[in-house]
Amino acid sequence: MKIVTHTVVTHTAALALVVSAEAFATGLATCDSGPQESWQPQAKLEQMLKEKGWQVRRIKIDGGCYEVYALNEKGERVEAYFHPKTLEPVPTKAK
Amino acid sequence: MSEAQPATQRTVRVWDLAVRIGHWLLASSILVAWLTRHAPGPWHERVGYASLAIVAARVTWGWCGSTHARFRDFVRSPSNTLSYTRTLLEGCERRYLGHNPLGGWMILALLTTTILVGASGWLYTTDRYWGVEWVERLHGTLMTYYWFWSPRMLLASSMRRCDIARISWRRCFMAGKESTAHDGLDDGGREGALS
Repeated sequence: MKIVTHTVVTHTAALALVVSAEAFATGLATCDSGPQESWQPQAKLEQMLKEKGWQVRRIKIDGGCYEVYALNEKGERVEAYFHPKTLEPVPTKAK
Repeated sequence: MSEAQPATQRTVRVWDLAVRIGHWLLASSILVAWLTRHAPGPWHERVGYASLAIVAARVTWGWCGSTHARFRDFVRSPSNTLSYTRTLLEGCERRYLGHNPLGGWMILALLTTTILVGASGWLYTTDRYWGVEWVERLHGTLMTYYWFWSPRMLLASSMRRCDIARISWRRCFMAGKESTAHDGLDDGGREGALS
């Protein structure tokens, strides 16, 4: 019984760690962007970047910013952040 | 002296130096990889490749290492593993000097997981798979295996008081009334089992 309790406790702790780790932002950039209803649509950002010659792979939300995985106009891999209200680039910690 | 021997404890070295070093290198590279998962800079990738190298070395060692390091010492058939599990649940499981049958499969799962996590991580750094969702999800999902593996190993160690995570790296066992049956096990036979 003690062993079962031990197992339950350690696994719950591990699971809590995994879940909480994923819930937090990465901390690479943060945007003070308010509620999502006031944001510009992702599609608009994607269109804008495509016109710049980017090949957009994926857009996520991280730290209140749009986080873009793309190949830029030079074909380089980039992970870039944009403010969801202004769609301006947000500087990140240097890679 | 009387023929009734008191219960005494003996220690036997089970894991060779390479296994011990590999164990801690892999454990620390996984920990560092997790801590640097969002960090800018090259460290996440570096320790990822390092963990692949450690696994490659361990697999090689599984063929030509010391007795208990070899796959043939601890990889056992599914039916063997099943019957071991049954006796484990009944609380009368056979004791092994090296990995027990469940532990053996756990090691294989650990090595496979590390290869897949490393490979998917590498894939994500290629132009073709950069930013592709399924690659990132595969990488992150497989990696959660470690969270279930580490507490399980700590648990197994605390249950037995003498497992792989013990700093002394010695398997201990009571050599009491069955002491004669234990003789000759120090070098770890093919089975290396304590019944």
